[in-house]
Amino acid sequence: MKRPVLSAPLLCLLPALALVPVLIVVGQGLHGGGFETWWRFLQGAVQPSKDPLLLKSLWDGLQVTLATALVSWGLSTLIGLLLGVFSSDVLWESAKIPTWPAAAIRSLLALPRAIHELLWGLLLLQVLGLHPWVAVAAITIPYSALVARVFRDQIDSIDRRRLTAVLQSGASAPAALVSSIGPPLQPILLSYGGYRLECALRSATLLGVFGLGGIGTELQLTLQSLRFAEFWSGLWLLILLSVLLEQGLTFWRHRQQTNPSQWNGVSVLTMTVLAVLGGGHWLQQLLPTSGTTLQLMLPPLPDISALQLAATELPWLRMIEQTLRLTLLAAGIAIALPPLCLLIFPGRIAKQVFLGLWTLQRVLPPPLTLLMLLLANLPSLALAALALGLQNAGVMGRLLVEGLDQQNRGTMKAIEVTAAGPRQAWLLGCLSPQSRSYLAYGAYRTDVILRETLVVGLVGGTGLGWMLIESLSSFHWAAVLLIIICFALLTLAGEHISDGLRQRWLRTPGETAST
Amino acid sequence: MPAREHRAVVCLALLCCLSTTALPSWAAETLRIGAIPDQNPEKLNRLYGLLAQELSQKLQVPVRYVPVSNYPAAVSAFRTGGLDVVWFGGLTGVQARLQTPGATVLAQRDIDAKFRSVFIANTQSGLQSISSLEGLQTLKGKRFTFGSESSTSGRLMPQHFLQQGGVTPNQFAGGRPGFSGSHDATIALVHSGSYEAGALNEQVWTSALKSGAADPNKVTVIWRTPTYVDYHWVARPGLDKRFGGGFTTKLQKAILGIKPTTANGKTILSLFAAEEFIPASASQYAPIETVGRQLGKIR
Repeated sequence: MKRPVLSAPLLCLLPALALVPVLIVVGQGLHGGGFETWWRFLQGAVQPSKDPLLLKSLWDGLQVTLATALVSWGLSTLIGLLLGVFSSDVLWESAKIPTWPAAAIRSLLALPRAIHELLWGLLLLQVLGLHPWVAVAAITIPYSALVARVFRDQIDSIDRRRLTAVLQSGASAPAALVSSIGPPLQPILLSYGGYRLECALRSATLLGVFGLGGIGTELQLTLQSLRFAEFWSGLWLLILLSVLLEQGLTFWRHRQQTNPSQWNGVSVLTMTVLAVLGGGHWLQQLLPTSGTTLQLMLPPLPDISALQLAATELPWLRMIEQTLRLTLLAAGIAIALPPLCLLIFPGRIAKQVFLGLWTLQRVLPPPLTLLMLLLANLPSLALAALALGLQNAGVMGRLLVEGLDQQNRGTMKAIEVTAAGPRQAWLLGCLSPQSRSYLAYGAYRTDVILRETLVVGLVGGTGLGWMLIESLSSFHWAAVLLIIICFALLTLAGEHISDGLRQRWLRTPGETAST
Repeated sequence: MPAREHRAVVCLALLCCLSTTALPSWAAETLRIGAIPDQNPEKLNRLYGLLAQELSQKLQVPVRYVPVSNYPAAVSAFRTGGLDVVWFGGLTGVQARLQTPGATVLAQRDIDAKFRSVFIANTQSGLQSISSLEGLQTLKGKRFTFGSESSTSGRLMPQHFLQQGGVTPNQFAGGRPGFSGSHDATIALVHSGSYEAGALNEQVWTSALKSGAADPNKVTVIWRTPTYVDYHWVARPGLDKRFGGGFTTKLQKAILGIKPTTANGKTILSLFAAEEFIPASASQYAPIETVGRQLGKIR
């Protein structure tokens, strides 16, 4: 008997089921009390503050954020590339050495990756003090591990026949490796590298929201005190920067495709080094006296009895359950919302409107979105999930549209001439060929969302994230340590599951269709 | 070497040279002042910019204001030496002093010796004025929000008084209180009705009423807490070694010497919502430490 199989475009819309409980809760909680505040918020968008003192401090903050993003992007790309090469089996095989060191590096790298950059930031802040390089280190550590993983996967999936051939021709192992791995790595270095820079900017902003300086700090403080005109001055600056960066990178990607010979791996590597040195210098100029020299100032480490006490005190089951619920709801929203929007409102104008909306969603850090949503809604976990889901939907949406724009429109045209409606044609002709790679990316995004639950836990008072902030603010190190371990374990488990799903969805369609 | 790469290498070399010029700027000895972020940043920037100017003039050392956006970050920055003098709340000041042995209490405002919090409620919540601690029980089952989790007036003392009145945080609607993050946000969230009641700093509430940010037809005070001691200036140990003998005393005198008779002094004091700064001692804050330990905020 044939097992019923969900076709790909439906699978893509399936997470929309998460929208149902969220909308029910949020719909019930909606109230008019906050509309006045919302109205003031919207007015602020049209009439941002032009106070010179404020603009100056916003401008400084923006520069700090950008410099932080540049340095951490450059550093993490360079370190990630090195670690990626060293954690690949190919390297060790080519030198005819057992491959266990590669496996060891890979498992070691799982830990820095499992901890969100915000968590690194808050921890390093405790250990190193308030210093501009703390934010840089906080982003660089998890990003390096992430980049290393992407490069390692890429390197190990490269066809090895070429390497074997070069090796057999008598070339030395390093030379053979560079000449056979280098060229296939180039495209991924170019496209993935650009994407990481956008991520670094988002992370640098988020770290600011939690007190590590830059424009994020200004945004958080202005919104918290409901100074909407001032908030929007900062937000507009940030939107401008993000759009410029995104458009610049898109333009650059386009240039690469039309004129590939002009851009090679060396020029990208030069750019990363430039980013590190230039950004570092910039940061130094912006904040010349803000820090003493970096030094380790470890807080008192908890002993065994304190750890045992904390382990029994904390409500583990409830915290984990809330964290998982938050992740699933937010992931559902993030994955399903973009295709749903495009399905319900087809057409070119709608697409442009959504693209603009998604940019805004990406730029706004989730804790700020949550505070705004909370003004017109009763507090609930669903609301926190919505805030988290919206930002990630912004990321997923742009990715979906990019994928859709690049594909051949033949299938859709073919279905359209069969007199199918525009929505059906879009679903079957346009979304269907994309849905596997979209879902695979969605699985990866879910992983990211699990890490990010930390971010809204604080405002929503829910889950592990909230407990972590509460413990940090009480300087309760035993609890902090245990919660971090719990978080890391959860993330690693989530990564394992999402990897499995991704591989399933990325298998060739023919293979799956026959099962 | 192709021209493009040649240029890149030249650029790189130049940048390497430039970055070495940045190193000497580490050496300058600057007094770094900070504050817990309990105000809007525009006010913080204005206030501490002016204060830095005033202190710099009086003490003859460069003074720089370092903005911090969350309470524990200010405590850690103080412990690790990123901030030399900080305007702390009651709880954060005690936490900071416990973590930084030798830190000294410099001063407080005239209003800090007898500080209060207010409990506010949305007028449609049906909550009535409370006249005794037992009256707080009417808040059970209501949606209730504190401010920042480390705030003395927005969380610690209100939670303490609730406990005395027989209300624990898990008895609020949803099994937990909210944490709005700031006093202003607490007003807005109770004003909108998202939360039925909340607790905040009385001084912020009074100025919100004056400025019209709070509409008395929509939010009212249902209870004023008894008085307790709050905000204070705390200085790191070792300032005398860095800036010369007797510097900490000079600093204390400079803060106490800010009077409304000068233009700068008048602005600073009005931004601090105070008439003057008065001497304060660590022993005044012992009750805050006791409450902090009871509620698990000090370990």
